[in-house]
Amino acid sequence: MTGAVAAFDHQGEVTNEQRVQSALRAFVREFGVTSALHMESCVHCGMYAEACHFYVVTGDAKYTPAHKLEPFRRAYQREVGPFAAVARTLGLVAPVTISELQQWQELVYDSCTMCGRCTLVCPMGIDIAELIKEARHGLFKAGLIPERLALMDRTADKWGSPATPAEDLPDILHDVAQQYGVTIPCNLDRADILMTVAPAELGDHPKSIAATAKILNRIGANWTMHQSGFDASNVGFNDGDARLQEKLTRAIIDTALRIGATIVLLPECGHAYGAARWEAAKWYDKPLPLRILHVTEFLAELLSSGRIRVRPIGDTATYHDPCQIVRRGGLEQAARQVLAALGLQLIELKDHGVNGFCCGGGGGVVSIARATPLRHKVFELKRRQVEDTGAKRFLTSCGQCRITLDMGAKHAHWEQKVESLLELVADNLAD
Amino acid sequence: MRGSGSSSSSSSTRSPPSAHPNPTGAVPISSLVGDKPLINISGCPPMPQAMAGTITHLLAFGRVPELDELRRPRAFFGETIHDRCYRRPYYERGMFAKSFDDEGARDGWCLYELGCKGPVTYNSCATLKWNGGVSFPIQSGHGCIGCSEPRFWDRGGLYRPLSAGTARVGTIVAGAAAVGALIGVGASLLSRKRQSTAAKPE
Amino acid sequence: MELLDFARGPALQFAMAVFAAGAVWRLLGILLLPRTGDRSAARIGAPSRLVGALYVIVRRLWPRRPFLQVTLFATINSYVFHIGLAIVVFGLAPHVLFLRSLWGISWPALPSNVVYGVAILTLASLLAALARRVSHPVLRLLSGPGDYLSWLVTTLPVATGLMATSHLGARYETLLAIHVLSVCALLIWFPFGKLMHSFLFAFSRGAMGARFSHRGVSI
Repeated sequence: MTGAVAAFDHQGEVTNEQRVQSALRAFVREFGVTSALHMESCVHCGMYAEACHFYVVTGDAKYTPAHKLEPFRRAYQREVGPFAAVARTLGLVAPVTISELQQWQELVYDSCTMCGRCTLVCPMGIDIAELIKEARHGLFKAGLIPERLALMDRTADKWGSPATPAEDLPDILHDVAQQYGVTIPCNLDRADILMTVAPAELGDHPKSIAATAKILNRIGANWTMHQSGFDASNVGFNDGDARLQEKLTRAIIDTALRIGATIVLLPECGHAYGAARWEAAKWYDKPLPLRILHVTEFLAELLSSGRIRVRPIGDTATYHDPCQIVRRGGLEQAARQVLAALGLQLIELKDHGVNGFCCGGGGGVVSIARATPLRHKVFELKRRQVEDTGAKRFLTSCGQCRITLDMGAKHAHWEQKVESLLELVADNLAD
Repeated sequence: MRGSGSSSSSSSTRSPPSAHPNPTGAVPISSLVGDKPLINISGCPPMPQAMAGTITHLLAFGRVPELDELRRPRAFFGETIHDRCYRRPYYERGMFAKSFDDEGARDGWCLYELGCKGPVTYNSCATLKWNGGVSFPIQSGHGCIGCSEPRFWDRGGLYRPLSAGTARVGTIVAGAAAVGALIGVGASLLSRKRQSTAAKPE
Repeated sequence: MELLDFARGPALQFAMAVFAAGAVWRLLGILLLPRTGDRSAARIGAPSRLVGALYVIVRRLWPRRPFLQVTLFATINSYVFHIGLAIVVFGLAPHVLFLRSLWGISWPALPSNVVYGVAILTLASLLAALARRVSHPVLRLLSGPGDYLSWLVTTLPVATGLMATSHLGARYETLLAIHVLSVCALLIWFPFGKLMHSFLFAFSRGAMGARFSHRGVSI
């Protein structure tokens, strides 16, 4: 560890001993064979350091991905590893201390977006990003997460969303409907498509709500939003609160099942996709009888089947691949289908597609004020890559990425606008 | 001095009678004689030049020649057969006879694979040879059996190459793997138990 | 000679027993942990998890293009000593005989001089790896006693093998004994440190490959 002591937040009034115990229990609880294999296979090659944007922009060794997991590696070896009993009895592996957990908050939350670029490089195929996600379970239970995330956690627990209480949803939707001249059904008892949003849409980008509504109405879909399950962003997925992750997931899925929907439509959001598309099923006994679609792949399907058509835009464009839907989610081609349908001349970033660099704000990092200087450094990296393409337009499919990049642009006085792929489609629908 | 069986090898460090299981309890001279100077001329049989030369040295100089840690005269036991073997170039190049009378054997290749103990045997057979310099085992196509080294007969076999282990490992490894499996299963059960304890509500 | 007899006999027996027991213990202790399972629907057109797993096991042998430049030293140097070790272990005639005495099968050996050359290259590569580990800030931070011990037990057999074969430093039987003992040390440490990656890599890469092929990500 470098010399400086990292700042940390804490929640709850419990003893340090209790915090350590809670962290260990929560971390160990869900350890399956895949995570164990990954914990066991590291050969300390350090190859991934050059893949992690936080290391690349600072050159600081402490941002090395595996180092972010160090206390959890020891927890694994002491608790559930094959030699755990021997390690404990003979004192071969040092127990995790409270000060380590405190110091590691910064590494696990401020300087990791769970983007998974490190996973791409590791010769042993270790999914470090996923392990960080599991480490957050420990820190959450220990009451050692960044305070802003804890606040969002409490809010989402009460309201079903960190952005707004459910009871305000109809008013918000009414305002959007009026402003953009679209119809937005809400709280229908029966619909084929349940549309969801993320805080970015509810706050910064309400036009995206209108864009989705416009497209759904254009294809004559039987769709609705619903107060009982409207925010697909999952704070629990991000901050390590497994209980909240389940609660928020069930709110969406149960609502969809109740209204007989066959499609859950996710907004332009990254972690919402990870939470709903890949992790929702784990709380249900049998496979879910519905499709969970990110709006990007929904648009790709509509465009390729001809259900909607767009006017071609002849501009040059480049695209930021949101980590959770592309590298972790599988929508690299879907995004490019939409870009192609829009008639854009795509000039790829130097690191694009599955290899793209993270915007630097995912996984809650954009919400952590402490991490701002770090985030701005990452922004410079993205900015350079965008400028090197010389493209006129800069597009992406994630509201959090947009916010992160907008904040970076503002700080750096960068003129380039960041646009939403969804909004561009809606704006250019052909009759 | 190949003579009648065991009694002539009283100068050896140990004699074949003490081969496993050693029913007669035979021991080397060095464990019986403590107070007199002792010179070992080892070999089965010992090289006649070694005996003659050592006796000549004693008569001419009135003192014991330089000995190695096994009390053998360095003049005759200072180098290995391997150090002076004429087939050494084949060893260096990895050209080994694979069986007696195969093509490599007939071409005079190195006898390492056929169990030659030349590299670890100290004697002067390779230079002085036997029967007035006619030949020595390797030249005649048979690997050195290491007969001037202690317990050469109980070292795993005359035809076992030096790089092969001498102990039987098959059963041991199988048994060890079985033990490992048991412990491994036990460890995983212990871990699962620890996990379910951790999953209980606090 | 006593040392050589000990090395070739009881020491090897013990080392192999520890290796067998330890490796099986560790593998089963890991593989028998609960399967968390993934009930999410696969991406349409995604290959089966097994195919995805096998694909990544092979694909990950070489870095993805954007990362080749920045991982060049680690990639190339590691392959030099991995392949070098394989050539030395399986190609040198005395080793072929050793393995024949264990497994009952043998194969043609490589010319000894070639293997000596490869061994020297392997040793240089291992030394380069160590130099990198102690000088690069990231590797210094990551490395612990286990890393250095793994390096030592891997390098000693190469070094002592070269010394034995060139009769350098002591009597041949002593050098050979030390070489065999260094292999015993390697076998004993093997199951407990990162050297187990030689078995684990397939499972670890495979698990990750299965996860991402399910999602339709070409990783």
